[in-house]
Amino acid sequence: MLRTAAVTAGIAVLVAALSAVHLTQGTSATGVLDVLRAVLGQGDDGTLAVLAGSRVPRLLTALLLGVALGVAGAGMQSVARNPLASPDTLAVNAGAHLAVVAVAAFGVGLPTLPAGGVAFVGGLGAAAAVLGLSGGGSASPRLVLVGSAVALALQSLAILLLLLFEQETTGLFAWGSGSLTVSDLDATARMTPVVVAAVVALVAMGRSLDILALGDDNATVLGLKVRRTRVGAVLLTVALTGAAVTVAGPVGFVGLCAPVITRLLVPLAPGLGRHRVLLPVSGLVGVLLVLGADVLLRAALGSAEALRVPTGVTTTIVGAAVLIWLARRGRPTRGGTGRQAPAGRVGVAGSRRRLVAVGVALSALLVAAPVVGLLLGDRLVLLGDLVNWFAGRTGTALTFVLDQRLPRVLAATAAGAALAVSGCGIQSVSRNPLAEPGLLGITAGAGVGAITLITFVPLAGAWQVAGAAGLGAMAAFGLVYGLAWRSGLAPDRLVVIGIAMWSGGMALITLLIVTSDPWNTAKALTWLSGSTYGRTLEQVLPVALALAVLTPLLWARHRELDLHGLDEDTPRVLGVRVERSRLVILAAAGVLAATAVSAIGVVAFVGLVAPHLARSLVGGRHSRVIPVAAAIGAILVSAADTVGRTVIAPAQVPAGLVIALVGTPYFVLVLWRTREAR
Amino acid sequence: MRTPALIAAAAILLTACGTTEDGGGPAGTDTSAGPVTVTDSRGKAVELKAPAKRVVTLEWAETETVASLGVMPVGAADTAGYKTWNSVAPLDDSVKDVGKRNEPSVDAIVALDPDVVVMASGRDTTLVAQLEKYVPVVVTKASDAARNLDRLREDTRMIAKAVGRSAEGDKLLSDLDAGFAEGRKAVEAKGAAGTPFVVADGWLEGSTVNIRPFGKGSLVSDAAEQVGLKNAWTGQVDPQWGLGQTDVEGLTALTDPKTVLFYSASEEDVFTTGLAQNPVWQRLPFVASGEVHRLATGTWTFGGPRSVGHVADQLVRAVTA
Repeated sequence: MLRTAAVTAGIAVLVAALSAVHLTQGTSATGVLDVLRAVLGQGDDGTLAVLAGSRVPRLLTALLLGVALGVAGAGMQSVARNPLASPDTLAVNAGAHLAVVAVAAFGVGLPTLPAGGVAFVGGLGAAAAVLGLSGGGSASPRLVLVGSAVALALQSLAILLLLLFEQETTGLFAWGSGSLTVSDLDATARMTPVVVAAVVALVAMGRSLDILALGDDNATVLGLKVRRTRVGAVLLTVALTGAAVTVAGPVGFVGLCAPVITRLLVPLAPGLGRHRVLLPVSGLVGVLLVLGADVLLRAALGSAEALRVPTGVTTTIVGAAVLIWLARRGRPTRGGTGRQAPAGRVGVAGSRRRLVAVGVALSALLVAAPVVGLLLGDRLVLLGDLVNWFAGRTGTALTFVLDQRLPRVLAATAAGAALAVSGCGIQSVSRNPLAEPGLLGITAGAGVGAITLITFVPLAGAWQVAGAAGLGAMAAFGLVYGLAWRSGLAPDRLVVIGIAMWSGGMALITLLIVTSDPWNTAKALTWLSGSTYGRTLEQVLPVALALAVLTPLLWARHRELDLHGLDEDTPRVLGVRVERSRLVILAAAGVLAATAVSAIGVVAFVGLVAPHLARSLVGGRHSRVIPVAAAIGAILVSAADTVGRTVIAPAQVPAGLVIALVGTPYFVLVLWRTREAR
Repeated sequence: MRTPALIAAAAILLTACGTTEDGGGPAGTDTSAGPVTVTDSRGKAVELKAPAKRVVTLEWAETETVASLGVMPVGAADTAGYKTWNSVAPLDDSVKDVGKRNEPSVDAIVALDPDVVVMASGRDTTLVAQLEKYVPVVVTKASDAARNLDRLREDTRMIAKAVGRSAEGDKLLSDLDAGFAEGRKAVEAKGAAGTPFVVADGWLEGSTVNIRPFGKGSLVSDAAEQVGLKNAWTGQVDPQWGLGQTDVEGLTALTDPKTVLFYSASEEDVFTTGLAQNPVWQRLPFVASGEVHRLATGTWTFGGPRSVGHVADQLVRAVTA
């Protein structure tokens, strides 16, 4: 008891100290001495105004955010009984953010309280979907996987809105990463009662949450209404997150890190383990994180320059590191074995007639999709034109249109196939039907590589950008693989570390853009959301080459892929050199994904959806899945590209966002099918 | 599920037979005026068979300049946005939208069969190479915080030459200089020479406010200095556009009681909605003295000669009122 009080007091003193430093930092000349004088009641009017109009609102906002997110994270982790749960990994942040962006984009100016309501509804929708789809919150990392995938989908939608409404949403890009630059206390003041009420209610539920931690059955035996407790706690945590998003946008990973750090202190002070103490202390630690990130950033960059960097970017990079550390620390086997491999619908595979039918249909579509891609676009071209073009008989204008359309169509087709094949390899080795190159951090790594090059060498040619993307992807992949490797490769660890790399990579990209070229976010956003715009044949070459070499290589190992998908031991028993085989497969998958990214930018879901569709068509054997998935991937991206170039012409929607729009519903279906029986 | 898709695909393929070309090729340009060669911001000599009549512009400043020269572009990027943000050289309804400024549609550009495409440097570099296979491309410098007015003159003369309106181009620039001279005279007559000013725009999300001051070297700042005012914003700015970033607290660096604030807001007015109640804002010298001026809707602060003149006029009017 005494030790708990001592630890809590220690944290409170730290918060007070950081708050004091925070008050002395800012873009005006008001410094330490001015603030001190003001505190002693001798401040001049200017200092008082700066404190009242800028510093205090910023500090109070940071305090509110820290408390809301810290407590929300602790609550979510308890309800989900999973140390990886948080507003980020349950997609609550993303859901709330999307709701707010949508309201802004469609020009509905809402006062703060309804805006808070919108964020709450968005967050609740996301949380309900994630919890529902992941089986209510089992202890497995599946929760994180589902949540991150849903977050990815929601973010894609938010980016789409940002792109379509460029002028209306300029500030939303930076705000999308959480900003403390408040002009007044309006939103903070309105949200404070919500946060206070939710925190009090959650703390009041502390005893129930303690009992819930014993497991559903034990809790029921002890007379707890498990369902009611759980629903109540989830609603409260979502309200807390929604309030935080309303005030400052999504501040990443505070909700994940704060309770994790708090729980680390439990050996020091066992009293912290009880929810009535754990929840408020997590809130305090959350404040430490938000304030610490802000203070450090301002100290490092100077207050004026630090304005460009949203606070959420710093916390996300820190949070990604904590997530990786957590994943490395966790027991590797937990939830890693005994899970069913993605089998698709069994019984489908046997039918030879069906196989032939699928083969014929896919071949036809595989030819048709690129041809239609060549025909459609801002200008409609007819088949006769195509024939003339092949024969070299078209006029200059049409020749040119088709000449520049061809690389785009080819890039989409090849990248789609490469992502699909890459997804097959990754899903099999990670033994996880929801894994894909994007969620393994590979595509984010490629983005970091490309944006870094564009930042430092603005006139870099297409080849150099592609090369940098490739390097970034391989570096990210190497890191994920290396970090996940601990005397063996646990598939679950691989996925969680991949997700951390993805979040950290995206935060780095935001950091690079807002510090280097803050007035040109549209181009970067487009590049990052998967566009075939301005592709040349030269840029298609790497991905075509990778496809030609690596697809046969992976296909030749189809038996190993089948075995990896089964469980940990079977391949070993059957004499497969598991680690080596895994490395070869993952490396091939990584190269395929990297070249795809260098060709068309970041496209999510294809690597996930194509293998699933393939399995549902021809069964789970990789000898069949790989070619079928490749065809499906090619058709999907090619069609998405065609749609993106056509629907709102002359403006264009990047192919990756079309995929996200189409892929999300299908993805939800996959999640529903693969949810674990409770 | 796949059969309908197949049928649909087959239907598309069948109905897509035929051609869209009449085989005639594009109508030849009138070459009576003789060839023109302009050297653009890349240092490249762009050769046109004749002064361009059909012009496509891919950035708003270039659109404005071409329209101000008396040539209505056949196509321009984001015409709807242009209408909101730039009112000094309105476009006809005949001007086709060729897509967003960051990703204009190559199909749409080519469909207009232009004689020249005018675009700004710093946008997509692969696009230049692609377009040049089909149509001459002239790339403007667009902005240079080291010498923005000279840059503006060079860009304007270059565009004017390309469309065969050099005389009109010179007139635009001499009008601009005349406007500056007149403005300076009015300012001096009022004893307002050397008045410190700030120009800014900004945006608001929730209660998060970002303020973007136009520092020394930005186009509007150069214009204001031409009429005898003095930019009071000394914070860090970027080398191309001369733009800075700050929050409300950062504005306290402006202490001269004579300072005048101009702000640009063609859509949302951040300064009156987000900041009005803020104690720091209320104590700022220009707020206390009531010297806060909103630039007219449709004043594009990154525009061509007419936009620059328009800004200068509004500034002069405000300080001599």
